[in-house]
Amino acid sequence: MKTGATLALDHGPCRAVGQNLGMDEAALIRAAQAGDQDAFERLVRDYDQSVLRLAMNLLRSPEDAHDVYQEAFLRVYRNLPSFRFDCNFNTWLYRIVTNLCLDHLRKRKVRKTESSVVETEEGSIDRMDSVPEQRASSDPQRALLSSELRTRIQQVLAGMTPRERLVFELRHFQGMRLRAIGETLGTTEEAAKNCLFRATQKMRSALGEFV
Amino acid sequence: MNCETARQQIVLLIYGELSFEEEEILESHLDACVECNQERARLEKLSSFADLAESEVPAGLLARCRRDLTAALEQERRRPSLSSIFRGFWQKWFVNPPMWMRPAGALAMLAVGFFGARLLPDQSSALSQIGVSQGPPPTISKVRLVNPDNSGQVLVHYDEVRPRELRGNINDDRIRRLLLAAAADPADPGLRVDSIDILKSQTSDNEVRHALLNVLRADTNSGVRLKALDALRPYAKDPDTRKTLAQVLLSDDNPAVRTQAIDLLVQSKEPDVAGVLQQLLQNEENGYVRSRSQKALNDMKASVGTF
Repeated sequence: MKTGATLALDHGPCRAVGQNLGMDEAALIRAAQAGDQDAFERLVRDYDQSVLRLAMNLLRSPEDAHDVYQEAFLRVYRNLPSFRFDCNFNTWLYRIVTNLCLDHLRKRKVRKTESSVVETEEGSIDRMDSVPEQRASSDPQRALLSSELRTRIQQVLAGMTPRERLVFELRHFQGMRLRAIGETLGTTEEAAKNCLFRATQKMRSALGEFV
Repeated sequence: MNCETARQQIVLLIYGELSFEEEEILESHLDACVECNQERARLEKLSSFADLAESEVPAGLLARCRRDLTAALEQERRRPSLSSIFRGFWQKWFVNPPMWMRPAGALAMLAVGFFGARLLPDQSSALSQIGVSQGPPPTISKVRLVNPDNSGQVLVHYDEVRPRELRGNINDDRIRRLLLAAAADPADPGLRVDSIDILKSQTSDNEVRHALLNVLRADTNSGVRLKALDALRPYAKDPDTRKTLAQVLLSDDNPAVRTQAIDLLVQSKEPDVAGVLQQLLQNEENGYVRSRSQKALNDMKASVGTF
């Protein structure tokens, strides 16, 4: 788990990055709105790792994550002049990214079954290989358990609705507060809370024998 | 608290989404209930298992994304936008029209001027829509085009600025709109401070409060931000104000603004303030702001570190 502290801050996932920017971020956005390309590039650099990690975690496909990254920042570029500071920049950006990811996930739900192997420019990649082999170390028994667990977790995640998956991802891996998640997804904190609860229950049922 | 409620809240406890009071009540229940306590342990273990599912971004993917984005942006910039198409059309047909069109264009402009002057009332409604009094004569702010013709005449296109005055009560909507515009005037921080000072008495109005929150969030001048903070003082308990104050506290580069933000947040006496102050203490470098934050936490009987 990424955060466990009782913090009431209603921030987005990129705060750790954006925090150091402080007021500079507003100045950066204004400069980018005025057509300063360096400022836009700095904005991209401040957020793009988090965006890519989020897309990768949600979609489990380097190619899809790449597409979401491109489309998200192109949309930001096209729509930045109309950004009026009505919400945090990161909330706005994450709304774009999560909408794109939801579209991908919904399309995938329609396709139902899919292979874990995807074709990329560099050849075939098994998406399961993208999941890190944490804590397995050199103990074969632990490695086996870890691998089985990972497979089971992948299955649970795939069985969640796109919205549950998104809320779980944003809360568990990105460390976003439920209120910010609600804002990003255009819903209430309560609805985000319910999604998280359902997602956790699904995890609990599927992994009950391991805990 | 019964076990069913407790089990629903354990998830929120693990993710740090409970308020101080909710956490206290749940912890008391967990201390007394062995089964719920075991459930907490199970969910904590489950949560650590879920970490196994985190994907790693494959090496080289970020670099490829950045490279492709740069190329896509370059293409985007080269693509003619609607405005540039319009500008081209304007340049071609209005600014530098073909020679054969110029006499026709001049005639058309004369006709528009002639009939337009007769259609408009004596005092243009565009200028009098906010009911301003007659002021001094207009000044020329910019000459846009000079176009001599063969007869020795010169056609000049220019913009003019007309200073106006409006006197009225602060409750007058027209006055308030002008003050809101002045509070956002990027050219003059002094004017912004004066306008906010007057708007201070109007913070019960949502539009005014929203404008002040925007100033607090984004104004480049710390003096103006401090003025906005001061104006928002009576609304320290308002959720939007508290949210903005928390953002400002963690991102404003001016220690005086951060200090004021602490005072206002503490004034709201809301339980989630402790979390924000604890977050602040993790990165705050200014000694005075740190000590104010620590004092506020002590007054709230909250711990200085996160938990």
